[in-house]
Amino acid sequence: MAPLLRVNGLSKRFGEIVVADAVSFKLARGECLGVIGPNGAGKSSLLNLIVGLVTADGGSIMLDGAEITGLPPHRRARMGLGRAFQIPQPFPHLSVYENALVAASYGAGLHGEAASSWTMEVLQRTGLEAKADKLAGALPLIDRKRLEFAKALASKPALILLDEIAAGLTEPEVERLVAIIRTVKADHAIIWIEHIPHALRAVSDRILVLNFGRKVLEGPPADVMDSAVVREIYMGLKADGVA
Amino acid sequence: MPTRTILAASGLVLAAVIAGAPFVLNEGILRLATECLLLLTMAQMWNLLAGYAGLVSLGHQVFIAFGAYALFLTSGWLEVTPIWVLPVAPVVAAVVAAIIAVPLFRLREAYFSIAMWVFAEIIGAFTMKSQAVGGTSGLPLPTSKLIDFDWFEPTMFWLAGALTLGTIAALYKLMISSFGLGLMSVRDNDLAAMSVGVDVRHNRFVAFVLSAAGCGLAGALSFMGNLYIAPLAAFDVNWSVYMMFIVIIGGIGTLEGPILGVIIFFGLRELMTGPLGLSGGWYLVGLGVIAVIVMMVAPRGIWPALRDRLGIRLLDVQRTSPRPAVVLPSASQQIAG
Ligand SMILES: Nc1ncnc2c1ncn2[C@@H]1O[C@H](COP(=O)(O)OP(=O)(O)O)[C@@H](O)[C@H]1O
Ligand SMILES: [Mg+2]
Repeated sequence: MAPLLRVNGLSKRFGEIVVADAVSFKLARGECLGVIGPNGAGKSSLLNLIVGLVTADGGSIMLDGAEITGLPPHRRARMGLGRAFQIPQPFPHLSVYENALVAASYGAGLHGEAASSWTMEVLQRTGLEAKADKLAGALPLIDRKRLEFAKALASKPALILLDEIAAGLTEPEVERLVAIIRTVKADHAIIWIEHIPHALRAVSDRILVLNFGRKVLEGPPADVMDSAVVREIYMGLKADGVA
Repeated sequence: MPTRTILAASGLVLAAVIAGAPFVLNEGILRLATECLLLLTMAQMWNLLAGYAGLVSLGHQVFIAFGAYALFLTSGWLEVTPIWVLPVAPVVAAVVAAIIAVPLFRLREAYFSIAMWVFAEIIGAFTMKSQAVGGTSGLPLPTSKLIDFDWFEPTMFWLAGALTLGTIAALYKLMISSFGLGLMSVRDNDLAAMSVGVDVRHNRFVAFVLSAAGCGLAGALSFMGNLYIAPLAAFDVNWSVYMMFIVIIGGIGTLEGPILGVIIFFGLRELMTGPLGLSGGWYLVGLGVIAVIVMMVAPRGIWPALRDRLGIRLLDVQRTSPRPAVVLPSASQQIAG
């Protein structure tokens, strides 16, 4: 199958800090790419580059055969990118339902009845249905994380980008989240940044290791996790991975 | 009763009150009421831009001036009653806004605010130099002889009332539309908004042009009421200061906030310059002190604090989720099982 996402030689630096150093990879529909690496390695920046919140210094990003490298974020979102932020970014004075409705209306381009029923379906799938009319600003962490996922999903993306959405959750909560991600995997491509090895292993087809903005390794989860490189990086990672 | 019905009914009652008010109120109070209503409209427009699109303008007086001068000049050229050329005012202000948006939108935050102010000052300086528009001494309303002065104050009040009600109704309509949902998402979190497909720049542009148009119309009405326009009054930065004060103490990013803000603003003014007998300067100091206190106690303004504490909803624009009407416990268990 032709890849949905093709990232080629993507580069970005902030002054002295290199956050992306000629990163290349491909991703097909139905595939989940896990991304690991120490804090500050450039994982979130990679997502920012893909969604267009940060403009690349070099390289290209192709989505479904179309070059999206220079497009503004809202265009990329409408073309099929949905992103869950590491630090939840709700619309605090809108209700949970309205939060997801923004994504359904703008990202997915739905109107009226179609928009509201799709929004409710997403809230149901992400376990937020009972809190639909609560203000997003008043949600506890777990629900903020769920809402991040709901907003990403509601825009009917082809590619879902998840940034540490399991971080800070209890084990049963992580299990639930993994189950939810599994249900959407079949018809989406997913990039999932996470520090929790077993969660990542459970869903990922491949894992990509970033360090200082460079792709150090990419391969099947078992191989990558057991590799010498990762063990070395992981020792340092476990300490700050908890934070 | 559904919210919409209550709102429509309140609108009708208010319209009736406005229609009848000139027959009971004396001219002084009527003039004050007209001024309140026009400033409320301007504050709503400033709020549309600052509260929903995140652009704080210190140069909104330029749109008031463009609207007012457009009215005075066009009415002079066409020699018709100023009321009939009122539509020119918002159109001119909107066109100006659409043009200056191109360079101004490259600037963010404080740079935008200051650039707006500088732009207003420059246009003001040109106006003072230009004899064609009356220079420093300004212009009388050329067609004031066509005005029926028996009905002038009531007409001004009715126009201001219609504009205010129309503005609030239009803003309410806007906020419950899907464009309004986009505006509110940008108000809350522009990063998240663009990440789910909201075109933040487009929203800003639309809010800017609408805001300018509304201020142009309200400004034209305001100076029409004076029958005279002079650049120092038209390009006065205090217009923006008042709008900002009203919005910030009342509640930025809400439709109710400016209404509350305008009541406080005029209440304070009448209290300080009337019974307390203080001069205009002290009044401005008082405004400043109150603004600072409100910003420290209730940073989002008085209305949101009241609303959240008392649970009142007035111009409620929240969309409720479409839940299944009544699901019996047994029925839902069957579905689940
Ligand atoms: N907009 C920015 N401007 C300057 N530096 C940034 C910016 N965004 C990220 N950085 C820096 O780039 C590095 C990588 O950050 P990030 O991508 O968030 O890492 P990770 O998600 O892997 O922990 C960090 O040192 C961070 O401080
Ligand atoms: Mg990160």
